[in-house]
Amino acid sequence: MGGRCGGSGAAVRGRLERTALALCGLWLALAVPPQSDAAPPPYALIGAAAPDFALHAARGGNVRLSEHRGEVVVLSFWSSRCSGCRTQLTALSRSFATYRSAGLKIYGVGVDDDAAKALSFAKSADVDFTLLLDPEKSVSRSYQVDNLPMTVLIDRNGTVRHVLRDYSTASNGLYLQELRALLNE
Amino acid sequence: MSQMVFDEAPCGPPPTAGTVTRGSARCAGALAAALWLAVGSLTHAAPPGAAAGPATTSVPATIPAPATTSAPGTTGGHVPAAAGGETAPAPGPGAAGGESAAQPGSTGLDQEIQGLKKDVVDLNRDLFILEEELLFPANTQVAVFLSLDVGDFFALDSVQLKIDKKEVINYLYTPREVEALLKGGVQRLYLGNLKVGPHELVAFFSGKGPNDRDYQRGASLRFDKGVGAKYLELKIDDRQRKLQPEFEIKDWE
Repeated sequence: MGGRCGGSGAAVRGRLERTALALCGLWLALAVPPQSDAAPPPYALIGAAAPDFALHAARGGNVRLSEHRGEVVVLSFWSSRCSGCRTQLTALSRSFATYRSAGLKIYGVGVDDDAAKALSFAKSADVDFTLLLDPEKSVSRSYQVDNLPMTVLIDRNGTVRHVLRDYSTASNGLYLQELRALLNE
Repeated sequence: MSQMVFDEAPCGPPPTAGTVTRGSARCAGALAAALWLAVGSLTHAAPPGAAAGPATTSVPATIPAPATTSAPGTTGGHVPAAAGGETAPAPGPGAAGGESAAQPGSTGLDQEIQGLKKDVVDLNRDLFILEEELLFPANTQVAVFLSLDVGDFFALDSVQLKIDKKEVINYLYTPREVEALLKGGVQRLYLGNLKVGPHELVAFFSGKGPNDRDYQRGASLRFDKGVGAKYLELKIDDRQRKLQPEFEIKDWE
């Protein structure tokens, strides 16, 4: 017993050092941010019926999604603070001009808290399609918007088919490819 | 919750996504049930003596029983005929006596499909009625309707409805919905439950008034909820003398 007590000082120190090292390792593991190339979580609404909504349009009037059953609908969520949103809305406007006659509807859904900022952004945005205002974020919540800009493609049956969570040249190419496939259905 | 009820509005808006999805889900379920019933009756009708024996506990054995006896349901009229045609073509009772074998087969199948479709529609209707009766029983039911007449002095944009100071619905109207209302449609704006006793309904109407100005008006009604269902109507009318819209809440006695 006494021998154990005598030799326990070093043993305790060693145990403390090991514990401290383990804690440091744990802290490092928690503190290091995850790799940026990690895949985003799958979009839960793919294959599900698109949640219906009715929103005020920036230029007046209201829009209800369910009235556009039979058309391919693209919802693009934007904010006045989002730098890439303006570029994406311009690109969407180009695709709208091309495919409007094939039964395409595009709506931009603004998620700004400040309605005045959203309105000024909507007025300054040079787009041909309707921009909607969602200051209460009810629609963005139902569509589980986790990144801006985010684009949701809804087919003619009202089912969510694709989602794009960013904007780049590659994602725009993918968007056009998926949009053409939906319009051909 | 809200649902459009149009009297004469063929170009009216389609129902909301909630009702569509519920309806389609019900349709799918009813179709599956009807098909299962038909398949069950066909397979179980083939060996008539053997299937009738253990028909006490298992579910597939109990289902074909009314089909073979063609007792009360709507499926009984169609399914046994098809089952009889498949299992016993030779002793067919008179109707297909002089016909060839191929023609009655295809027409019988068509009739069977038509019968199944009719059954699905009937079942869907019954389920819808049953759902409404269960969710909104007559002794607590309150329904609020909205109608719009003329509309020269008011372009409807939204209606907010409060019952006993609690917001129950805030409905935005699209141009197509307003057009349907102007054609004589009546919309069921709200359907809910209320206790028996005194209540207060407040409705706020927003839109464009005369000279295209933003216009917001309110109307309220105190009413007593009795033991029966309560029906209220929000009526928007034009008052020609004052060149102003008029908002009224009517109690359908």
